[in-house]
Amino acid sequence: METLTEIIKFINFSFSYSGSNALILKNINLSIEEGDFVLLVGPSGCGKSTLLRCINGLIPHLYSGVYEGEVIVDGELVKNKSVNELATKVGFVFQNPENQIFMFSVEKDIVFGLENIGLDRNEIDSRLEWVLHALGIEHLRYKPPYELSDGQKQRVAIAGVLAMKPKILILDEPTSLLDPRTALEFILLIKELNRKFGLTIIVVEHRIDLLTNVANRMIVLDKGEIIFNGCLKEVIKNKNLNLYGVNVPPVIALQNYLKDEGLIFNEFYLNVKDFSKEIKRRLIGID
Amino acid sequence: MFWLAEGLVYRRQESIIHSLDPRVKLIISLSLFLLSLFSSTIFEFIILLSAIFLLGVLSKVLRRMIKTITFSLTFVIMIFAINLLVGYDLIFSIIISLRFIAIISSSSIFFLTSSPDELDLVMRSLHLPYDLIFAFVTAVRFVPVILLDAVQIIDSQRSRGLEIEKGNIFKRIRNYIPVLIPLIVQSIIRSEELAEAMESRAYGFSKKRTSYYTLHFKRKDYFVLCLNLTLVVLFILLIHLFHL
Ligand SMILES: Nc1ncnc2c1ncn2[C@@H]1O[C@H](COP(=O)(O)OP(=O)(O)O)[C@@H](O)[C@H]1O
Ligand SMILES: [Mg+2]
Repeated sequence: METLTEIIKFINFSFSYSGSNALILKNINLSIEEGDFVLLVGPSGCGKSTLLRCINGLIPHLYSGVYEGEVIVDGELVKNKSVNELATKVGFVFQNPENQIFMFSVEKDIVFGLENIGLDRNEIDSRLEWVLHALGIEHLRYKPPYELSDGQKQRVAIAGVLAMKPKILILDEPTSLLDPRTALEFILLIKELNRKFGLTIIVVEHRIDLLTNVANRMIVLDKGEIIFNGCLKEVIKNKNLNLYGVNVPPVIALQNYLKDEGLIFNEFYLNVKDFSKEIKRRLIGID
Repeated sequence: MFWLAEGLVYRRQESIIHSLDPRVKLIISLSLFLLSLFSSTIFEFIILLSAIFLLGVLSKVLRRMIKTITFSLTFVIMIFAINLLVGYDLIFSIIISLRFIAIISSSSIFFLTSSPDELDLVMRSLHLPYDLIFAFVTAVRFVPVILLDAVQIIDSQRSRGLEIEKGNIFKRIRNYIPVLIPLIVQSIIRSEELAEAMESRAYGFSKKRTSYYTLHFKRKDYFVLCLNLTLVVLFILLIHLFHL
């Protein structure tokens, strides 16, 4: 088995924003391995966005406050690096893509970040071609932002950060403005990036069912504390999940219910298709 | 609200003029602007305005150019009336009014035929500080977004029973408060998100920012530039040598 490298590490980390003494993150200990696909959930206001801001350095560089403990990204202390420098390691896609497309055309917007880090023209050319292709947005290249749909805008937002070749891609509620179908396509696209380029991914998403087949890790945050953290298959089985505002997908809830009723399956099924296959096998077996 | 800016706002179109290098369009606009500023006879203005309208026809923006002019007609009439009232003669008042029209319409040539994108390129080619260019670009980029926010807020406040077009002028101004407050709050939130996104895209990362986009004159740009220069010289010579 290949050795796993830790790419993000929180050590005894706590944070509160300046101007309020409420601890938003409390004694966080967390490590995320390279290539992980992490689903981060929790009720709104529990500190998910705050946690993410600590990874790309917006905290403490843009938002100051009481900062205790350490956050290490790719072997370096976040507090010693500027957000700018971290931008080439951590790509951050925000909830509203409208507010992260600055330029008048898709191409110019992708180039914006690359110009900022001072790449030469040839490198910009090749990254531009690569990212347009990787995200399947070649046809949008010269379009202005107001001609794009929400789903397309979200892709362009990813293109802008992906072109910087980060090792980590963070997405904070990226599908909340998308319709279910576009949201699913979007999640599959992210999975593709994770698989193809070994990108480490952290997604905050309320529609958990979109990610049960995609993410391999799941972290549940509540009131600034990590409640569950581990393999998605293990965490998602937990019966107390709904106490933390997590929308447990019906297949999972059903299996938990059946378990209470004494019906034990040898495996835990994450999607309806696999579960119904198993039920069918059982029923036929019983007959 | 929208019609107000309509005359001056760029719309994607194709024409011989549109396809020119934006610096050439700027120079044409600027030459006509300067000539209008320094012209002082009705004859000169007839030539200048004919040239401007000819450009309007060539670039297929004549109708919107005229719209801009009609929009500024109130000012023209005011200028005309004030000049007459303070005792200038009729000819002089007409000339001042014509000059105003020529200035407005000549500058509209550039804005009607160049996209904000091209304006960005022109500013880059002038080596203006990038902070300034970025401020301009984002301002233009987000004007329609914020206008849309405003429209949505007005709609939602209306659906809650707010009657904006009711009462006298002071009442009407007061009616806009429930629109303005959420709009300001929303814009502040937006600007915070923009700041986060800018940082995350390495804005201000290094002193030596690459300039990926540069403008290059094509053959037709050189040709039009020469033509423009010739016509300007011809115009000046004609006026001053022959005292037309
Ligand atoms: N810039 C800020 N300044 C002060 N408090 C903040 C700021 N951003 C968020 N908070 C507070 O931190 C808490 C966690 O917010 P956030 O991390 O955005 O939660 P989530 O993303 O899980 O909804 C909330 O109580 C919120 O009010
Ligand atoms: Mg959040």
